[in-house]
Amino acid sequence: MATYFTSIKRPLPSLPFLSPSSCEPIAWGARRHQSSYRRTKQRLRVKPDASFGTSSTNTYDHIIHNPPSSAPSVFQTPTKFLPVDDVRRTLRGSSTHVSTAEFSPVFETSGEKRYHLNASDVEEIRRLRLSDPMTWSRWKLAKRFDCSPMFIAMVCEASPQKKEIQKQVLEAVQSRWGAKRRMAREDRQLRKESWGRDP
Amino acid sequence: MKRLQLQRWSSSVLSPRARTGGRLQQHLYYNLRRQSTVTPAAQAENEQLIDQQSSLLTTQTPGSPYSLPSPPVEAARESAKLAALHARLYLPTRLPLETLARCLVDSSADPNAKFNNESLSILGHDLLSHYTSEHLICTYPRLPLTVIFAAMYAYVGPKTLAAMTREWGVELAAVPGGEVDPGLLQFKRVVPGTDVNEEPAVATERPNEHRTSWRKSMTSRVVYDNEFGDPTEVKNIKGVPAEHASARFIRAVMGAIYLHAGRPAAKRFFEQHFLSRHLNISELFNFSQPARDLARLCARENFEPPVAKIISETGRKSRHPVFVVGIFSGQDKLGEGAGASLLEARSRAAVAALKGWYLYSPLNVRVPSAMEEEGAAPWKPVHVDLGEVIV
Repeated sequence: MATYFTSIKRPLPSLPFLSPSSCEPIAWGARRHQSSYRRTKQRLRVKPDASFGTSSTNTYDHIIHNPPSSAPSVFQTPTKFLPVDDVRRTLRGSSTHVSTAEFSPVFETSGEKRYHLNASDVEEIRRLRLSDPMTWSRWKLAKRFDCSPMFIAMVCEASPQKKEIQKQVLEAVQSRWGAKRRMAREDRQLRKESWGRDP
Repeated sequence: MKRLQLQRWSSSVLSPRARTGGRLQQHLYYNLRRQSTVTPAAQAENEQLIDQQSSLLTTQTPGSPYSLPSPPVEAARESAKLAALHARLYLPTRLPLETLARCLVDSSADPNAKFNNESLSILGHDLLSHYTSEHLICTYPRLPLTVIFAAMYAYVGPKTLAAMTREWGVELAAVPGGEVDPGLLQFKRVVPGTDVNEEPAVATERPNEHRTSWRKSMTSRVVYDNEFGDPTEVKNIKGVPAEHASARFIRAVMGAIYLHAGRPAAKRFFEQHFLSRHLNISELFNFSQPARDLARLCARENFEPPVAKIISETGRKSRHPVFVVGIFSGQDKLGEGAGASLLEARSRAAVAALKGWYLYSPLNVRVPSAMEEEGAAPWKPVHVDLGEVIV
């Protein structure tokens, strides 16, 4: 009963989705359902794809090829991977070339290698990391020398004491995780491994 | 090209003296039985041995089937199961029922090499490995070795062969014996309660086998291990698992068809029963660092370095975003992948690109054994390139 009264007392303009259309000023209190059949029919009247139907230029029988959107098959070798003497290379021609200019890259930084560090820089990295491993972590060294942390790991290795400390820190952090968080982390790891395996 | 005399081959394979030592253990079973296939020379030799050992035959009566370890040869013609199996598999009529019955007797049931399927199964095993490996290598010339091993296992591994035995409707005998219907697969079963997986004794010719910490490289498996890349295991358990016995039966049928009906029939049997099984090779891959492998591949083949670009995306700020990322080398798209994060999509795209490289298949694939047919077209070398990406 209470809900009935509240719905009656609500002002009409606050419920615009209930009104059938702005151009049909009928007493909507008398109507209990939207007459939606005609409207649905109208909205489903979508113009078919261009490849469907007969085009004006082609009057012969022809094949309509309009596959659903799906991931390309891995069994179709990319043209670049075909050997030089393969016939398919010439058959495909340059139709596979796409203009990649309008696609935005995944990573902002370009993957080009710069080779801007020399031997003395490497010596400096090693010295810093040995002298004060707590301050000069991989990330900080990478930032200072403008290279990737991967490069720091390739050049030098942390001392065993630092590794031990880091291990203890990690254990302390992980000991505060509950079951949910631990399970979520493990699931994430498993999902990551399945990236290279699933079709 | 002259046809080889198959009858001469068969007698050399089936005679007990042909392959001595090594894989074929020679068992001499001193009992008076007639054979389905034997050379006169071997028979004379056998009778000489029997004369020497006739004094040992005191406990068993020669006529009774209960005294035999496997069904007598005459019983094959009377078995309905055997005839039904022959008809069901559409085996060539030149393959007699007696040989099919012999294929169903494992060496654990009857240790006599003239009555069990051991020699036939060795021949069939070699044929199956040969046909499968040449098919795989010629169809997909760039496959990595691990995937070839996995595909070999999927096509002619013991598990597949055991499944085929069940599909063919071959039933297993509870206990082997002379009175058993020859249409049943006969082998000595493993005693219940035996741990099949306990510490297999591994027998390889690998040097430094005792150094367990040493790395066993993938290429060394070609030399030292079996065709699936696994070490050959010798287990100290009594009896034979049903899987092994079923696998030996199928291999023996293959060998028997080769001997009785010839090479084209064996090839046809292989294509109809083994190659016709569906195997999606693209699911056998497992990459740990696909992006790095793809970069190495492009550097090796002198392509432009791969760049990941977003082809389309939806719902970036929502709970379930979808990104479609393509990997491009210059103007060419190498692969495409979709994922819930940019990293996932890039990783899947790199996997797709690597699979595109590995699953290259030339047009009009011919295998070397196709040259054995008469009037074959001149051989053109199969495609060979660097193939596997080694990081």
